[in-house]
Amino acid sequence: MTTKQYDAIIVGGGHNGLVCAAYLARAGRKVLVLERRHVLGGAAVSEELHPGFHFSVCSYVVSLFRPRIIRDLDLARHGLEMLPLESSFTPLPDGRSLCRWPEWHRTRREIARFSKRDADVYPEFGMAMAKMAFFARELVDQPAPDPTSLKIKDLHRLLRLGNQMRSLGPDMMQLNMQLLTMSSSEFLDLWFESDVLKAPMSVSGIIGTFLGVRSPGTAYVLLHHYMGEIDGAFRSWGFVKGGTGQLSNAVASAARSFGAEIRADSPVERVLLHDGEAQGVVLENGDEIRAKIVVSGVDPRRTFLGMVGEDHLEDEFVTRLRRYKYRGSSGKVNLAVDRLPEFACRPNENGRAEHLRGDIAIAPSIEYLEKAYDEAKYGDFSRRPYINVVIPSVLDPSVAPPGKHIVSCFVQYAPYHIKEGAQYWPERREAFGDAVVDTLEEYCPGFKDSILYRQVLTPWDLEQEFGLTEGNIFHGELSPEQLLFQRPVSGWAHYRTPIRRLWMCGSGTHPGGGIMGAPGMLAAEAILGTRET
Amino acid sequence: MTACDVIVIGGGHNGLVTAAALAQKGRAVTLLEQHDVLGGLAVGDEFHPGFVSAGPWHDASTLSPGVLSLLDLDVASSPESVFAPQRAEDGPGLLLHHDPGRAAEEIARHSEQDAHRYGDYRAFIDRIRPFLRGLLETCPPTPNSIWSLIGPGLRLRRLGRADMLEFLRVGPMCMADWLNEYFQCEMLSSTLALPALAGTRTGPWSPGNATNLLRYEALSHVGISGDAPAVIRALEDHARRQGVTIRTGTRVTGIRTVGGSVQGVTLEGGETIDATVVAASCDPKQTLLDLIGPTALAPRMSQRIRTVRASGAMAMVDLALSGPLRFACRPELDVARARLVGTLDEVERAYDATKYGQYSTEPMLEVVVPTLGNPTMAPEGCHVASIMVHFAPHDLKSGWSEEDSAAMADVVVNRLSTVVPGVRDLILSRRVRTPVDLEARYRVTGGHVHHVEQALDQMIVRPDFECGRYATPIGGLYLCGSGSHPGGGLTGLPGMLAAETVLCQL
Repeated sequence: MTTKQYDAIIVGGGHNGLVCAAYLARAGRKVLVLERRHVLGGAAVSEELHPGFHFSVCSYVVSLFRPRIIRDLDLARHGLEMLPLESSFTPLPDGRSLCRWPEWHRTRREIARFSKRDADVYPEFGMAMAKMAFFARELVDQPAPDPTSLKIKDLHRLLRLGNQMRSLGPDMMQLNMQLLTMSSSEFLDLWFESDVLKAPMSVSGIIGTFLGVRSPGTAYVLLHHYMGEIDGAFRSWGFVKGGTGQLSNAVASAARSFGAEIRADSPVERVLLHDGEAQGVVLENGDEIRAKIVVSGVDPRRTFLGMVGEDHLEDEFVTRLRRYKYRGSSGKVNLAVDRLPEFACRPNENGRAEHLRGDIAIAPSIEYLEKAYDEAKYGDFSRRPYINVVIPSVLDPSVAPPGKHIVSCFVQYAPYHIKEGAQYWPERREAFGDAVVDTLEEYCPGFKDSILYRQVLTPWDLEQEFGLTEGNIFHGELSPEQLLFQRPVSGWAHYRTPIRRLWMCGSGTHPGGGIMGAPGMLAAEAILGTRET
Repeated sequence: MTACDVIVIGGGHNGLVTAAALAQKGRAVTLLEQHDVLGGLAVGDEFHPGFVSAGPWHDASTLSPGVLSLLDLDVASSPESVFAPQRAEDGPGLLLHHDPGRAAEEIARHSEQDAHRYGDYRAFIDRIRPFLRGLLETCPPTPNSIWSLIGPGLRLRRLGRADMLEFLRVGPMCMADWLNEYFQCEMLSSTLALPALAGTRTGPWSPGNATNLLRYEALSHVGISGDAPAVIRALEDHARRQGVTIRTGTRVTGIRTVGGSVQGVTLEGGETIDATVVAASCDPKQTLLDLIGPTALAPRMSQRIRTVRASGAMAMVDLALSGPLRFACRPELDVARARLVGTLDEVERAYDATKYGQYSTEPMLEVVVPTLGNPTMAPEGCHVASIMVHFAPHDLKSGWSEEDSAAMADVVVNRLSTVVPGVRDLILSRRVRTPVDLEARYRVTGGHVHHVEQALDQMIVRPDFECGRYATPIGGLYLCGSGSHPGGGLTGLPGMLAAETVLCQL
């Protein structure tokens, strides 16, 4: 048994745990991070799965990572470098295609081929959304105000938000309300007419949720696209140079530089409790490590029902935890290929392919997406899924051997709860992988032959391998009833838990999932605001 | 040319309520109804000699207490029971009474636990009803007026923290998730969900429609004998007593404006009537896009009204029957209201069809037998079954042809015959009405029985930000139909609140 006393133990070395650790260590606390796997990063991780190929296994693009964290922790010095995506490409099965570029006039020409009206409206839409996103950022960078609380701080923040909203004017206010309540496809219907533009735009509303583009409440996630920022440059998505894991490594390196201790291969079995108070953790190998506080970067179900135990919690809290919805809906297929994929509808020119330097959306129409959702709704994976393809090796040749490429496919829908039962996923894994590759083959004839290595991650694998309960990439659905002051459970949204000296800092807390780092940062600030450490 | 103070367009229940309330305050009110009968969506018509159907809005249990107190009606303390039949070999069906005590025994036949949970469900609704009613029975709050926000805010707080949090949690959810938290028996869940899905384009798994369910449950509170037609008769009597001039068979073809204010209306045939106030109980799209001249409204506003979603997804099949409907699983029951539902997933599948412009081949049915309460609607010994069919979209991909509607009616009769085996032999005549037919008969855009889609984004702000509080940007023109807050259903609330607004501003 170790007797060494830490100020804080962070359970889980995902990016939020690491950010939290770094902030606590920077404030002079003695911090220990315990990671179950052999690599750091949680779902923000890179691994060399095939010789010479460095895959960003789960998370593959970054946009929402808070610029403030990059500054506070000086991550550039620790090796963080971002490469912005340069286009957004949508191939169609009929031989046409649409590519959106950072340069407005090029995008306009592309859209005008489908609808002149849409081409005209597109910039107006972008401006309105950017304005909204500016407002939404306010919510992400601070703890969520609780409208049911009577604390001056909460009331003041609510009032401030209300005033900010009012200052936007009636048109914007209506837009804001529509964004919060409408489905992404209906919201886009208010602006655009061509399906080929609406479909790839609408999908940002469904990523990671078990909803379709026509399900109400998916529109506000569109904002995320306009909220994306890489180190202050508004509205861009990008790769981390060397793979997503490099972001985690940079944060870890910063944390270490502040004196934090980080241990991989150290699975935590449970939280050590005494008189309803967390006193440390017990590792799976039996070691006990004590600390003044324990901070869990693990999702709420694992934290409380796994590491704390129902016996130590009130029934009401347990009921609410059980109601908290995960039901992951996406999978990932990582491919190593021996040549650059070539889309029939837009062939590469002499090995150059500008349209592949960004993300590629297999989302030819709203109906296609909705049908994919319907299949999943009744317990099957989509035979023709929505696929978000990126080829990071085009922008960052260091991740693959010369001339070869990595094709990373984010696939939806792959529901965790298939009708046979989630435990049957391993038997269906390859069929799922085939559906993805077959879909791509339809757009890129010959693609199948170029595959050197294939990794298929089903929601079951995401759970077993990465500890994401029910394979939900966001530690719980980002649905309105599970956001803001209700994440993960109303009354416990401010990183505190019913167990004294146990805190939460993962994506299951406000403002939620994605490589944001905000939960980790806000949790650290909440902790430092008390005298517990 | 004639003149009066106020013209009310449309003699549906909301139009009647508005007209009566304004006349009561001494205004000279003329109500114009295009059909020969009053009642709009709440009344049906003779579809076979001697057989009268129910209207698409047959459910009078949601009539607001304020309107109810004005009328002389025979009222019971809780809404009529609903029967959810099963095939005889599958089980006894479920006769669902509103009151949990009386429902307990029935529910317990399917699940003991659910019988208990049903009490919890009703208790939660009873606790939040005062808040919801407060919200539904007043002018909608707007961020432009801090005062309008304080009232609902305070009423919300009065719920206590636990219920307040629960309400905020449940509101944005989908019905299925919420009902699944309570019940194991999906037939019970689907039966509860159906009236809140009726007429909308949402399925049990569409987020946000738990609010629709809460809304329906908060509104539904009484049983009225004679149902919708009785309510309409009482409203008409009331309006006439207040001195409203009612002209039926009078179709309005335009609202005349001058300098941004209304001047009066033009009738079919060219007659004009002058008035400084026009309250339109027809749907907002018709009012603001068809009846108003194209130049009267700012282009931005017209554009916004055009994007308001108002495409219906409910069809109706009326059957003239030579005898009573007997459900095989409980032949002894006289059923006035039945909901033919399946599991929540089956309801969802029925809804799925609308997304692709198809009608459901396994639709959910609400069967109303108006002749049980009012035998005069059919010849002696005969009955009428009016069936609401969910889901059948207005915008059928192929367009609605005769064959389509006949095929859909066959589907409906087939489905009914699984629980009423002999029904085919009873049918003397049948009439099918697709949403397109309903649009033509009731003159409501898109055939949407709520006038405007009942979804979160079109709820408090209904139908649009600038006319969400009954007044429109055109001086003297008010909206007073289901397309305004708090929306569709036989409540009389939009009409009442619009009248209050008119009186405040007059």
